[in-house]
Amino acid sequence: MNVTTNNDAKCTTALAGLKFVDDPEVGLNVVDLGLIYELDFQEDEKKIVCTMTLTSEFCPMGETITSDVTHALQNDFPEYSIEINLIFQPPWGYENISEEGHEFLGY
Amino acid sequence: MIGSPFNTALIKTTSHKVVIPFYVYAAFSFLVATLLLLTSSGNFAGHYFHPHILAITHTMALGWGCMVVFGASHQLVPVLIEGKLHSEKLAYATFYLAAVGIPILVAGFYVFDMGILAKVGGSLVVASVLTYLANIFFSITESKKKNPHATFIFYAVFWLLLTVLLGLALVFNFTQSVFPNNSLHYLPLHAHLGIVGWFLLLVFGVGSRLIPMFLISKYTNPKLLYFICYLINAALVFYFTSFFFFDATFYVFIPIAGILLSVVLFLYYCYHAYKKRLRRAVDEQVKISILSIVLLLIPIVTLATVSATLILGYGENTSLILAYGFLIFFGWLTAIILGMTFKTLTFISWNKVYRHRSSIGKTLSPRDLFNHTVFNAMSLTYLVSLLLFTAGIILILPMLLKVGAALMLLTAVLYVFNVFKVINHKALVL
Repeated sequence: MNVTTNNDAKCTTALAGLKFVDDPEVGLNVVDLGLIYELDFQEDEKKIVCTMTLTSEFCPMGETITSDVTHALQNDFPEYSIEINLIFQPPWGYENISEEGHEFLGY
Repeated sequence: MIGSPFNTALIKTTSHKVVIPFYVYAAFSFLVATLLLLTSSGNFAGHYFHPHILAITHTMALGWGCMVVFGASHQLVPVLIEGKLHSEKLAYATFYLAAVGIPILVAGFYVFDMGILAKVGGSLVVASVLTYLANIFFSITESKKKNPHATFIFYAVFWLLLTVLLGLALVFNFTQSVFPNNSLHYLPLHAHLGIVGWFLLLVFGVGSRLIPMFLISKYTNPKLLYFICYLINAALVFYFTSFFFFDATFYVFIPIAGILLSVVLFLYYCYHAYKKRLRRAVDEQVKISILSIVLLLIPIVTLATVSATLILGYGENTSLILAYGFLIFFGWLTAIILGMTFKTLTFISWNKVYRHRSSIGKTLSPRDLFNHTVFNAMSLTYLVSLLLFTAGIILILPMLLKVGAALMLLTAVLYVFNVFKVINHKALVL
């Protein structure tokens, strides 16, 4: 799934870091799982707004995953504040999983 | 921005402090039930209406089955209904009432004191179920979304209430005249409302959500699930009505056929979920849970045979009835719990320890929290025990019963070991 962004270079760096954040049940990272929808770099406020979803609104691992995403972005961009914009429209679906994700899962 | 985004705070899942005591209690109940199975194995060569067998059955049904289901459902119901649990305080009340009531009731059965012991124990269990029912009912009605999983659970809890109310009435029927017949006459009704109405509906409701979720399967079929749910309910209503208003023995094949069809359709659902899975490798825990649904076909065929012998005038085959009950509680139900404990409890414990893992670095995954060698040994001793004990019941061979019971006790010891390993896990940084 393509991630929408206003800064391609920084988005590439951010996604590389987010590839180390796994969904604990699936074992697949949040990028290839297709949980990340948008990375908005607000240079004026030195803020990154990460619009993302979870596989379910009531995912028991939700707190852990969002906390890990925040931490990963903070690691790569220490001068920025991080805001997680958690949305469930459009809902996550299996079609969000990337080619690499399918390979990881065995398909 | 994409679509119509809305900022939302994460909805808190049920606290592990509410859920874990249920699992611990259930694990000890399984241990106690297998210990009683070993010390009373000789009774399985006789009639099923024996104080020790009643004690074992209720330890398994309430202490093991219900407690683990109560615990897991307090955690899973919010996921299934896409809402939150109505009250954690009610969940604590459910635990304490059941935790005190179950051993008193079981002790009442064991020494066959149908007076104060069974009445007090039974009343506490009913009170526990009422608190559970209220919690689940309000959670479902407060949820904005309706789905087949919630419908299964709604009906399951209704049948559970009817089961325990009938059970309590049967306890009182021993000393007062509540029903026109003796309590033994109503035992099949009490048992099947619990087995089919409560456990089967609940297992299908939870399984239909969790199995595709754990397999990462694209398959969904809400229409089929609703059909299965209403088919089971129709079979139960027919059985209940026929029990009181016409000859249940003669017409029993109608609800049995309905239940058999529902199991076959659920297996069809599981098969398609499996075929359309994205995750190639399937966990051992999920495999044993799917196996348990297949195992369910054996007691249904046994029940049909028991009913056929009654209708054809060969009388009651007590060995087959005992085998049927054993295959339900130690077979189907236990297989599901042995498998699903290490899919659900591991997550609850992992969340407890690593919720803020980002601050401590790379960690273990939930599946690393239990010992897989012990789990495999447990699965092996369990399957051999099930086979030997069932053969012992049917062939009336005390030695097979003893060996089978000893292996089931070993299964329980291995299970308890892994449960404690999971819940006592301390944070490890890789």
